[in-house]
Amino acid sequence: MEFTMKKPPIVQNSQSSLKRSFNLHIALIVVSIAAIILKAFTAVPDDATFTALDQAFKVFLMLAVGVGVSVIIELFYALSEGSTKKFESYEGFVDPINSGLLIALLLPTITPIYVLILAVGVGVYVGKLVFGGYGYYIFNPALVGVLFANVSFGSRLYVAGTPLELLKKSMSGETYQFENVMELFVGNYEAIAIGSTAAILLVFVMIYLIVTRVIDYRTVVAYLLTVGVISFIAGWVNGFLVDYVIVNMISGFTLFGAAFLVAESVSSPTSRETKYIYAVVIGIMMMLVRVLGNEAEGLVFAVLFGNMITPFINRTVKRSNKQGLIKTVSILAVSVILMGFVLGFLLQNRLIEAFASLGGMM
Amino acid sequence: MITEYSHYLEPMKVYIPITDDEYKIANVVVAGGDAVKIGQILAYKFKGKHKLPVVATVSGKVIEIVDKMDRFGKIVNHVVIENDEAYTLDDIPSYKDEVSTAEARKAIERAGLHKVDVDGLFTNLNFEEPIKHVVVSTVFVNEPFISTNYEYLLDNAPEIIDGVAILASAAATKDVTIVADKFLPSEVVDELGKAIVDHDLEEPIFVDTKKVKGWDYKVIQDITKEQLSPNVLDNGVLYVHANTCKMISDVVRKGFPVVSRNVAFTGDGLHKNVVMDVRVGTLLSEVVEELGGYIEQQELNLHIGNYLTGVQVPTDDFAITESVDAVHISIYDEVQEDVCIKCGECNDVCPAGILPQNIMDAELRAVGERIFDLHTDECVECGLCSYVCPSKINVLEWVRRAKRRVG
Ligand code: SF4
Ligand code: SF4
Repeated sequence: MEFTMKKPPIVQNSQSSLKRSFNLHIALIVVSIAAIILKAFTAVPDDATFTALDQAFKVFLMLAVGVGVSVIIELFYALSEGSTKKFESYEGFVDPINSGLLIALLLPTITPIYVLILAVGVGVYVGKLVFGGYGYYIFNPALVGVLFANVSFGSRLYVAGTPLELLKKSMSGETYQFENVMELFVGNYEAIAIGSTAAILLVFVMIYLIVTRVIDYRTVVAYLLTVGVISFIAGWVNGFLVDYVIVNMISGFTLFGAAFLVAESVSSPTSRETKYIYAVVIGIMMMLVRVLGNEAEGLVFAVLFGNMITPFINRTVKRSNKQGLIKTVSILAVSVILMGFVLGFLLQNRLIEAFASLGGMM
Repeated sequence: MITEYSHYLEPMKVYIPITDDEYKIANVVVAGGDAVKIGQILAYKFKGKHKLPVVATVSGKVIEIVDKMDRFGKIVNHVVIENDEAYTLDDIPSYKDEVSTAEARKAIERAGLHKVDVDGLFTNLNFEEPIKHVVVSTVFVNEPFISTNYEYLLDNAPEIIDGVAILASAAATKDVTIVADKFLPSEVVDELGKAIVDHDLEEPIFVDTKKVKGWDYKVIQDITKEQLSPNVLDNGVLYVHANTCKMISDVVRKGFPVVSRNVAFTGDGLHKNVVMDVRVGTLLSEVVEELGGYIEQQELNLHIGNYLTGVQVPTDDFAITESVDAVHISIYDEVQEDVCIKCGECNDVCPAGILPQNIMDAELRAVGERIFDLHTDECVECGLCSYVCPSKINVLEWVRRAKRRVG
């Protein structure tokens, strides 16, 4: 009896990349549906010429356009390459749809549709296809699109009065009140992106994605811890403890990023130590922008920065062992805590003073 | 699932390969027409100056010497013996009670016992270099192919442990570690325990073989406290399986050469999965016939040994030898490799602590220097990186290529 010498793939392990894409797909669809529903229940200003239902429809339109544009670009690209085979089954559409949804979810309700189309075009083409498609890109394609939109059409995407912005203003002396902390958890308020508000849902989605191994729990936990610790210390130094931590943790892109962006596997590093470094760098960069930058939100930039240094940090590790891991984690923990204090004092423009007094004490 | 335990010990002909993948040159000492007894020397095989005997596993008449594929997939000379069904034994010395280092070595060598465990980290029975630790695995789990063979341990505990003691004597060390599966039924642990007490050996170490991937690497690393080389003999470790120890005991106590091997026949390409005691030299095709043949009309894959690191061969026309612990026949499953999604799971699982994904990346870019930097030579070829990959990439194959590039 003769046997084939074709190498059988090792299929005994039930994990599969395709399944992971599907799980991400499901998660994104759930978040998209939630975004539409939430908008229908978000109060509109009294003087507005539109109703909440109009807004919900706008969100639906954005998601549909995002998906449509992304799929069309991928299809055209495949046609020009003569490799349309993968589009014969639904599997081929999963990743293009995911990219389209992600970009739409990362933009606010007021986004003009042409801006969305451009963002998806840039994200999918420049961010993904140019690099060779899924699995080969260096920068998270969705964020490339969103960054492009923010840089080029920033004023058209500006949403006033988001929780992070309020928080920032309050630091510089203006007083404000959160009307409803509950809203922050449920997500029926106007924010910098249509997908980023439903905090409770995002936590569940994040857990789902971790359990199905779509995202690596280590990256997510390290990132959330970094944001948490820095905002805790910075908030404490400034006497804003509770508000500061809550707003930083559950509004803005913090949770959305944890679920979909920070631990996205293709554009993040591949070994234990580097995953921690990557996550902490992103957390710190994001808090830096939030505290010091002009923008209220810094995640888009922070993740892209993380993507940028990924090839470099991938190259710094030679092997992974316990001692190295412990060393890396301790250095990272110390940096995060230090960063919390530095940012806390910077917020009050008191950094130099604080260091001086520290010197005096010693 | 293994559903049966049986034996196949009376083949009409046996085919004995006279070389292996290390001892590549041989000198045949019998000729066609000679009558031979079980255990009689048929040939000597050489590696450099070192020589080992090749022995008969049935009594009968030597018919011819033919070229045939061996279990490593190479075409080599085989001595064909026709079984006279008398099973007369050649006169081989046996030993009682305490066995000295010299006696143990001599007996093991006379029986041609050298290369028994070939997969993974297992080592040959090689006593040329000083040995500091003897490690014996009693774990039969070779997930996901082979279920645990408790019966074998239960039936043969005294012989196995006796073999361990003889092996320790041959290796001239008292440092013996027996590794057992955490999920062993208590009666098996009791049996092993009794024998261990009789021989004054250390308690076994229990490992959770289901959870810890690459557990043997970790156990051996804990013992030696050094970075392991791909061949742990270089670390002064002799690492064999319980099966081998049973063979050693038989060889030394009974003067009985290794005539049979406990082989697991598994996979969805067979009608039933069994563990079988097979006479060394029996053709696989004959055994499979006994098992009811193959599933029909499919492209099948045939693997010898551990499915991650074993050898894939194109035909079942080869002889089972003492180093065949498992044969896996599966329906060929065309699954596309996906692109690497950089999940890093291969890096996490590597027991050697190196980074196969990064090595693969360096190999793709053909940067030899980086491959060198990444300690590629420390890969022990356990295959776990290929096993965990969600994209079904044969990562180990890339690591092997990288090794060849710099090696
Ligand atoms: S690189 Fe792969 S085969 Fe080599 S030791 Fe690591 S996990 Fe095992
Ligand atoms: S396990 Fe597979 S997909 Fe994941 S990093 Fe390794 S090679 Fe890439």
